[in-house]
Amino acid sequence: MFKFWMSIKKEYLQLINDKVGLLLMFLMPLFLVLIITIVQNSAYQIVNENKVSLLIVNKDKGAQSVRTIKLIEKSGMFDITIDNSVDSINIKRVLLKQDILTAIFLPNNFSEILEQRAKNISQEMLSDFGIAKDSSFNNKPKSSFQINFYHDPVLQDNYSISLINMLNSLISSVENSLMIESVYSELGIEQKTARLRNIALSNKITINKIAASNNNSNLQPNSTQHNVPAWTIFAMFFMVISLGGNIVKERINGSFVRLKTMPTNFLLVLYSKMFVFLIVALLQVALIFSVGIFLFPYIHLPQLILPTNFLSFISVVLLSALAAVSYAIMIGSVAKTQEQANGFGAVSIIIFAAIGGIWVPIFVMPEYMQIISNFSPLQWSLKGFYILFLKGGNWNDLYTIILSLSGFIFINFSIIYYKLKLDKII
Amino acid sequence: MSGVSIQIKELSKRYKSAEFNSLTKLSFDINSNDIFGIFGPNGAGKTTLISIACGVIDASEGSLSYYMDSNKIELNKFKEIAGYVPQEYAFYQELTPIQNLEYFGAFYNLTQKEIKKNTQEILTKLGLIKVANHKINTFSGGMKRRVNLAIGMIHKPQILFLDEPTVGVDVQSKNAILKFLKELNKQGTTIIYTSHMMSEAEQFCNNIALIDQGKLIAQDSIENLLSAYKQNDLETLFINLTGEEYRDV
Repeated sequence: MFKFWMSIKKEYLQLINDKVGLLLMFLMPLFLVLIITIVQNSAYQIVNENKVSLLIVNKDKGAQSVRTIKLIEKSGMFDITIDNSVDSINIKRVLLKQDILTAIFLPNNFSEILEQRAKNISQEMLSDFGIAKDSSFNNKPKSSFQINFYHDPVLQDNYSISLINMLNSLISSVENSLMIESVYSELGIEQKTARLRNIALSNKITINKIAASNNNSNLQPNSTQHNVPAWTIFAMFFMVISLGGNIVKERINGSFVRLKTMPTNFLLVLYSKMFVFLIVALLQVALIFSVGIFLFPYIHLPQLILPTNFLSFISVVLLSALAAVSYAIMIGSVAKTQEQANGFGAVSIIIFAAIGGIWVPIFVMPEYMQIISNFSPLQWSLKGFYILFLKGGNWNDLYTIILSLSGFIFINFSIIYYKLKLDKII
Repeated sequence: MSGVSIQIKELSKRYKSAEFNSLTKLSFDINSNDIFGIFGPNGAGKTTLISIACGVIDASEGSLSYYMDSNKIELNKFKEIAGYVPQEYAFYQELTPIQNLEYFGAFYNLTQKEIKKNTQEILTKLGLIKVANHKINTFSGGMKRRVNLAIGMIHKPQILFLDEPTVGVDVQSKNAILKFLKELNKQGTTIIYTSHMMSEAEQFCNNIALIDQGKLIAQDSIENLLSAYKQNDLETLFINLTGEEYRDV
């Protein structure tokens, strides 16, 4: 036991003397998590909080544009700015200048066209019922009515389409209302339209939004819930620079050979390295997660909410840490020089991070990249955290993650064992 | 006979995928209390021989037996009483001499108390006590050599392997190291030593073995060899026996 503690002491002393390694393992991820969370926060807010800035330019003097604008306001989806002085040519310039994400232009014949369309359809319906036919009714199909929707180019296509569909649905409800009014008017029972409108409103189908989590959690993916675990995983794996480099150095300078001449088992050296760097990984988790929990609310970022299934959380943290440690030792055992270990180690982690959804979430990647991401151990760890943080997952949900990470750790240790055996170190 | 001795019999070594043997049928004895020099051109097989003797690598053929007070001992027991000082600075330069000695001392099965006592003694003898708590990466080459030696000596070994212990050091450090080793030998430690400095070896060793291309070409006391080959010094004898061609290309 004394040997083991002395070996741990040596690893600790080496670690605290490795200033660059410490900066890379603790300070770099702190900066990254802060900067990237702040940068991504507004993007996540757009998606999650559904408050999009909307400029309405209303050139129409009729009642239907006012009715439509009221419905848009009532939807609660938009931060609305109304500026009727803008013309259709300058609207794009104003949108960009005022940093507004979307704009809608209601032309001067908006009410007239809406009313005309409603009247046409109601006439057609009454005609089909054999009730009436207005002599002025022209049953030729009308060309479709177009309204322009402008958007900032940064807004994702699918999000723009969702907003257009929503505006379409609001305009349709005005149109439907007009149609009912027109039918009732033709039948001479205009006074009953209010009653029908009330019935229609009370019969409206409500769609409830329920997140598919196991613990009825209403947590939404936000910049904090993504970035804090993501950059913590990145930091853990980035220990390859310190640990991998340290192993190569010891191998090259003959320390390992010297240890081989001593009456001791070399595996003890490996265990002490693993122990110290597991502690390092846990400290990284404690530090970065603490920043997410305690500091973020003070700088107006969403607070990190820890999962309730604490045992599973600890298991994912430990497995991720062990995966990172085993990868670093494997690189250190295989690399021939310190430069090779640092270079390959850093580049491989950056690639694993890029394809593993550390920088940008997997769901925004193209399909083939989503398939490739399954080969990144950083993605397995991140998925484990997602399952716990957002889905309130249990052991069953973590099954594949635990299996993948355990497999990765096993492969790394097999390579380490084979290489050290080949080098006659063990 | 008291002390540690080694008997080498028909020892051969061929590394995997190597075309030739690194050592071929070497046979000689290293007696207890000897200062035994192993010499040869680059690539002769000196480091391979020391690596086999220290248990770092295995021999392909032949045997190497260890004796303590004339009793045969196993490699594991031998490792407890043997010290190894490699040519490289095989320690942690970002740590202090005391921290290095604590670490390696523990691996020689010493207790904390023994480590403390031996550290004080050896650092004092090697003139490093004043810098015992300084980081080694601030030391000169000579000081680093002495730290390297101190680590191999922390457990007061009865047999010591030294691979070029004085290479790249100033005259003062070299003299201090050799003086220390001679004193150690007087106290009963067997010393096995390799060097390219023939004049140094001539003053330092009792017995030598000359190896070339993995084969033993001569082995005896220096006096006997010089007299048998009618040479005045070891360097001339060495050139005479190994030739003037480069061996490391």
